[in-house]
Amino acid sequence: MLKIENLHVRVAGKEILKGLSLTMNPGEVHAIMGPNGAGKSTLGNVLAGREGYEVSAGTVKYAGADLLELAPEARAAAGVFLAFQYPVEIPGVNNTYFLRAALNAQRKVRGEPELDSMQFLKRVREKLAVLHLKDELLHRAVNEGFSGGEKKRNEIFQMALLEPKLAILDETDSGLDIDALKMVADGVNAMRDPARAFVVITHYQRLLDYIVPDFVHVLADGRIVESGDAGLAHKLEEHGYAWIAERKLGHGVSAGAA
Amino acid sequence: MAAAALLEEFGPADARERDESWRYSRTALRALAQQEFVTADVHASVDAALRERFAWTQTDGRRAVFVNGVFSAAHSDLNAIAASVQLRHDAAGDDTEHRAHLAINGDCAEPLHLVYLGLPGAAPCRWSAVLDIAVTHGHARLIEHHLGAAGSDVLGALRSRMTIGAGATLHLTAICDLADSTSLYHRGDATLAEGASLLTTHVLLGGRLQRHDVGVALAGAHSRFDSRGVFALRGRQHADTHMDIRHVARDTACDVLWRGIADDRSRGIFHGAITVAKGADGADAQLSNRNLLLSALAEIDTQPALEIHADEVKAAHGATVGQLDERALFYLRSRGIDVAEARRMLVGAFAAVALDRVEQPWLRAHLGALLAPRVGTENA
Repeated sequence: MLKIENLHVRVAGKEILKGLSLTMNPGEVHAIMGPNGAGKSTLGNVLAGREGYEVSAGTVKYAGADLLELAPEARAAAGVFLAFQYPVEIPGVNNTYFLRAALNAQRKVRGEPELDSMQFLKRVREKLAVLHLKDELLHRAVNEGFSGGEKKRNEIFQMALLEPKLAILDETDSGLDIDALKMVADGVNAMRDPARAFVVITHYQRLLDYIVPDFVHVLADGRIVESGDAGLAHKLEEHGYAWIAERKLGHGVSAGAA
Repeated sequence: MAAAALLEEFGPADARERDESWRYSRTALRALAQQEFVTADVHASVDAALRERFAWTQTDGRRAVFVNGVFSAAHSDLNAIAASVQLRHDAAGDDTEHRAHLAINGDCAEPLHLVYLGLPGAAPCRWSAVLDIAVTHGHARLIEHHLGAAGSDVLGALRSRMTIGAGATLHLTAICDLADSTSLYHRGDATLAEGASLLTTHVLLGGRLQRHDVGVALAGAHSRFDSRGVFALRGRQHADTHMDIRHVARDTACDVLWRGIADDRSRGIFHGAITVAKGADGADAQLSNRNLLLSALAEIDTQPALEIHADEVKAAHGATVGQLDERALFYLRSRGIDVAEARRMLVGAFAAVALDRVEQPWLRAHLGALLAPRVGTENA
């Protein structure tokens, strides 16, 4: 479904990703962990198509297509979704209007019939219940005046509504209390499906107690330096990222000697 | 004609002050002044396409139409005008300044629609008119609707004096929907008595040069002025608004919120001056002006000016000129909304904030429809 090979990305002239490779299949949940500044959010933004991220080498294939060639809206229509680390407040744009415009724009590109307001609202109500979000949020402007937790839950609510094939969660757990964290995890788990893949970017292992990943990757200095199963997250929690750095140093020395 | 002579005709003011206030529009004014204008034909015909732009079903029976400054009985429809509303007008002369008097002495639930048409002739032409509005009591509602038809140049000048009596309210929506060949000078001076309120919403679109001088004297205690406005310009359109609000009496309030959008090579100017006179304690003055540049060649100049001579005053003002928020644009696009639609949503939302004082949903819909094509930003 997603194949990233030797991806190099520069942001404002500085190389952030330095040869990242990752392969994902439908139905899988991959956690990306790593220290601050490792390039975790850069990965999410590059996959979603944000401007200002210069790909200097490497390829990203998604469902057989060159993902990097697509505009952000085309990626969305093709099933890519990024849950933002910092959801943007958009005053004056009504949340319901925005969501319906987004869903119908995607459906139109895919050649599916657009939903009328009754069909749309029915779908909205179903998804709201799962995220324990209040109806009232729908009448407000996009993310405006939402608490930190509401913003993150709203991201997951949008994901539930848009039903992407590849969902990237960029530190969706940051700033959440334990109850909100559980709601977010419930929302994600309810969507786990053999046809859908998730990239869960997180700093802490805590979220992975609730969203149990199939694979855990450690991203450090722009590359994936270690991959394993869910157990790797626990090891990291125990030993810290320094442990990986030391092991890689040892590995580097031996590689250099070879 | 010299630009100064043209300005002189627009109304008396201190010459140096006036010169300074025209600083951003001087070039546009000089270009106008160099042109020859003949007196506009007050019997010019109104075609069906133009008529459609103002013949709103919601204002049928309450519409007064002025052709190049002169009241036109043929185009007006005043069958359902409220008993509390009286409109008088001087008979059309050839070259005099045309005067209309509007007296309102009671509530009017639905607005009276005053339509000023700037109609071109064979040669560039100009008109000049005066409108006096007196609201003695009750809640008056007015739409002042300036429309320009494309063709040779038309330069209109309207001076409007408003007096709002004790406890009375005037709700005024001013729409200036001008052609690129239309210029309009508009001076509106309002005096508010004790407890009076003036609520205005300006929607300024198009125009070779449109200049609005708005003077408001909060002369009575507890009087209040709420001003909302938005301009949306493109091509080489030019709109310049100067607001001069004077808190004279105690416990007066003003709340000014304007939005500006400029695309292509257009130019927008907003100058908001608020003066709190000595002794006008308890004044509350709020001014906010935010602007959006949609092209590297567009220009917006904004200047809030606050002058306070009283002691207990609450005042806040802010002005910004910026570009579309790239983060917001990416957020919308990442959800599947294409770039053109995402821009329309953001610019539309930016402008819509200035329509919050418009009471009638149908009027809001008309204004939204006028604004929608102006926020399309197809060049971006």
